[in-house]
Amino acid sequence: MSRVILLVVCVAALAGCSYGNKTEDTAAAESQSRGCPAAWKAGWQRLANRVDTPVYCPNWMPSPLDASIGGQWNSDGPIVDRDRSYLVGFLWHEAGSGDVHVNLRGYPGRTTVPQCIDVQTTGGKTRRREVPCFSDPRGTRRVGDKNVTVYTVSRDADQWHVTYLWRRSGTLYTVSEHVAPPLTFRRVIANLDQLVGGLELIRPTA
Amino acid sequence: MKLTRKQLLGAAAAGALGAAGIYELVDELAEAPERAAAGAPPEEQHLLAGMKVFEHEGVEVIEPPLHHQVVTAKLRVEARRSDLRQARETLEDAVRRIEHRYDVTPAGLAVTFAWGLPYFRRYVPALATSHIPVDIRASRSDEQPVSAVLDARRFPSDPEQTILEANDVAILIRSDRREHVADGAKTLFDEAGDLFALTSIRKGFQGGGFLGAASLPKVMATAAGVPGADLIPETAQLFLGFTSTQTHTQGQSSIANFETLGLVDVRTGYFRGGTNLHLSHIYEDLEAWYLDFDFRERIDTTFRPRLEAPDGAQTLAQRPEDSAAAPDVEADFRRFGAIGHGASIQPTSRLQMDIRGADGRLYRKGQAIPLRADFNTLDNPFFWTADPERDGFDEQPAAGVHFLTFNPSSDDFHRNRLAMDGVLPDGTKLPLTPRSRAQGLNSVLRTSHRQNFLVPPRAHRSFPLAELLS
Repeated sequence: MSRVILLVVCVAALAGCSYGNKTEDTAAAESQSRGCPAAWKAGWQRLANRVDTPVYCPNWMPSPLDASIGGQWNSDGPIVDRDRSYLVGFLWHEAGSGDVHVNLRGYPGRTTVPQCIDVQTTGGKTRRREVPCFSDPRGTRRVGDKNVTVYTVSRDADQWHVTYLWRRSGTLYTVSEHVAPPLTFRRVIANLDQLVGGLELIRPTA
Repeated sequence: MKLTRKQLLGAAAAGALGAAGIYELVDELAEAPERAAAGAPPEEQHLLAGMKVFEHEGVEVIEPPLHHQVVTAKLRVEARRSDLRQARETLEDAVRRIEHRYDVTPAGLAVTFAWGLPYFRRYVPALATSHIPVDIRASRSDEQPVSAVLDARRFPSDPEQTILEANDVAILIRSDRREHVADGAKTLFDEAGDLFALTSIRKGFQGGGFLGAASLPKVMATAAGVPGADLIPETAQLFLGFTSTQTHTQGQSSIANFETLGLVDVRTGYFRGGTNLHLSHIYEDLEAWYLDFDFRERIDTTFRPRLEAPDGAQTLAQRPEDSAAAPDVEADFRRFGAIGHGASIQPTSRLQMDIRGADGRLYRKGQAIPLRADFNTLDNPFFWTADPERDGFDEQPAAGVHFLTFNPSSDDFHRNRLAMDGVLPDGTKLPLTPRSRAQGLNSVLRTSHRQNFLVPPRAHRSFPLAELLS
């Protein structure tokens, strides 16, 4: 019986819910007031200079990650393509426990959703097709000073991630997090709210 | 010492029969739809009068009952003529009492008895040999007589762990009102409970969102905290986001009866008006479905690659004239490396020509044959089980479907299910890797249990053939 009551309470709470809760909102607000930690800033500054475009440095990452480029959790990159688009990934993985995986991307000079190559091999035949790297938009959210679009289907290194996407001065930016144990979709949304809410823009200096 | 009904049934099972658990929320979240008045109950147990038909997104849809419960059991009855006859009377009295109280409609209460092959083998083996219908088409293929009701089998995309069950009986109880289901179960098992050793209780729901409110699958999955619940469309009839009860996808009238299409020889005629029931439980990985397949891909894999659909559509027309034939499915596979769930089944699940049924009706080419009665569940895998270890029982809710479908024979269902895995009616096997992403919908499904049952006509629903024992 107590379980039923608890569930009723949950449903009632859902009626007017955002995905976050008060504690997380407070944390998000606090994180917005802080800047990119000094220990992480140098790496992001180097990236901004390299791609000659402002990049976003987080001031908060979901545990146990940090956003130190070149640090222990930095799994990808920064990978910079010829068009100056970049990917910086951070990953914690423990067999049997799960993943915490966050990717930050920027596409200088581009505002449309990029295309990815989907590769499927069936019956010995490999098929390649172009598909949007981010699809199934599920509305927009105001996070800090950004209007982000939430995408629930992502490709390539962002597969099984929820992606927040926004545009600034002719550049497309994304931050995504993997939905996998120990994280639920709802937890990932809360994490992305906090993470994106606390991003600091780092401008190129070189 | 004489045992009480509760002792016989088991206190836990007796409690679980009436308990609502999480499903109590269904009452608070959904109003029972208005239903048409009922006439006399049909000859068939598997048909419901008073079903509501309406348009959703421009497509004609049938609204099934909101609440569903399946109880499976072994029998406690001795295999003696006198015991069986008495058991038959006891059960029939109990059901008649229920039918006196409720119309056999979704607004009232519908109880359907389906009997497993273990019942026929143990209690009435000789009579079963001469009375159980024979599948003409399967017998021709196998060059030997094949029963219209077969033991369940695993299919290529089933995991090895899929349990093939051997229950004596399955009882399906359906209504728009949970209290009717609870009252029906209580009446049945209060009066006839000592006939049964329950093996499982399965509960669930579907629909509730056609008028624009959040649907039961959406709200229930969210309330239960099932992974991926937040991704289910608000008004989806089922967890996977699409409506499945279009008029054109459901077998109409008595098309799923043994005798209607001439696929089955009903022999003595005892089971005329009966049918085959396939019952399975299938887990659904909602996160994989909604995070790994975008809307376009979900359309492709649920229906057919490149099928036109408005963005966000939930109810798509599946008209007879648009049914895919086997060469279409092969062509889709060659072109896209994938097949659609709906299209792959249509070469076997839709009529390939006009047929005048044994009931005198003209069934048109492209009409659906199976009559599905599936419903979503949060059972993991069952609401209650007598053997938690064997069944892999977990109290944590899990998204799934209790899949029930009435087909003219087990083989007819098996053909449909094989087609889902790329085994076409002419035996062609499309090289789909089981549960691979190319299998689309199948890649997010995992079947835990299967069994086939014989559903007798209403006149013989209680301990079929027992009255003929000499």
